[in-house]
Amino acid sequence: MAERHDDPPAIIEIEALRAPARSDAARQQLTERILAAAEPLLSLRREPVGWWDVLAGWAKPGLVAASLAFIIAAGALLTSRVGQRVAEPVTLDEVLALSESGEMPALLVSLNEPDAEAFAAAALMEGAPDADALESVNRGEINER
Amino acid sequence: MTAREGDSPAHDEPFLVERVRQGDGQAFGMLVERYSDQAFAVAYGFLQHAEDTEDLVQDAFIRALEKIDSLGRGSSFGPWFYRLLVNAALNRRKYLARRHTHEVPDAVAGHENPAADADRAELRRQLAGALSLLPADLETVVILHDLEGFKHPEIAKILGIPEGTCRSHLWKARRQLRERLQEHPKPD
Repeated sequence: MAERHDDPPAIIEIEALRAPARSDAARQQLTERILAAAEPLLSLRREPVGWWDVLAGWAKPGLVAASLAFIIAAGALLTSRVGQRVAEPVTLDEVLALSESGEMPALLVSLNEPDAEAFAAAALMEGAPDADALESVNRGEINER
Repeated sequence: MTAREGDSPAHDEPFLVERVRQGDGQAFGMLVERYSDQAFAVAYGFLQHAEDTEDLVQDAFIRALEKIDSLGRGSSFGPWFYRLLVNAALNRRKYLARRHTHEVPDAVAGHENPAADADRAELRRQLAGALSLLPADLETVVILHDLEGFKHPEIAKILGIPEGTCRSHLWKARRQLRERLQEHPKPD
């Protein structure tokens, strides 16, 4: 745009303040400096991270952790149920059984409390019990000899 | 095309700016290549010290990158960037003046006559001093117009002022500058 006629003339001496000529190397160096300083800011602008990306990053460890927690919980539940299992009641017939030789009946281990009558009957018996005596014991009868 | 054609930017400039917004280093590099020389010249007009000027130009480009989202879609990068640069230069000069680290303008090298070098250095010192005493808007107009050859419409766009105000600023600036230089005649 042309200067207006009433503009005061430019001060020629001001040319002295003009920037000195710079070498290509100096210009290149400045450009590289600027680009290096800008790189961190530019990288922040690339591929902005959304909340879904953050969640996706945690998905795999989250699934593994959830699986482990499920396995541990299931194991703990099973263990507690086994511990709480109540022994099923057994009959005296199952506890007292004749030995093969027909002598003293074998006392089988039971989870139930010992049957006092059965103990008493066994204590009262002398010698080898005969089949009738055992039968009566099995029936719950006590022979008082 | 020159970098300072702020009112008629390259047709690809909005596209470059958009790519910079997305973090494209190559696009940013193209803007730096396009504007860094003129930015250096303008900033040097304020600071008169090459190293300080390089630091300032770097800071201005980084600041532009930080604020690139505030540049309107389709707007010209040049005027916006130069306004940022000029403001940064004025602030930097204030800062340097407070720290008293910027007393002497760059020496002029390459002259064979030491006496002429000394005279020229003295002239530059006087001019720089007289310029820095002008109000900031007048100083900016005279540096952009008389030193770097920007046209009034370009300066008006950079400073966000009407063209008439820009002319008025230049008129006042030249007059005040001339008066100050006459108070301190240039060395023979």
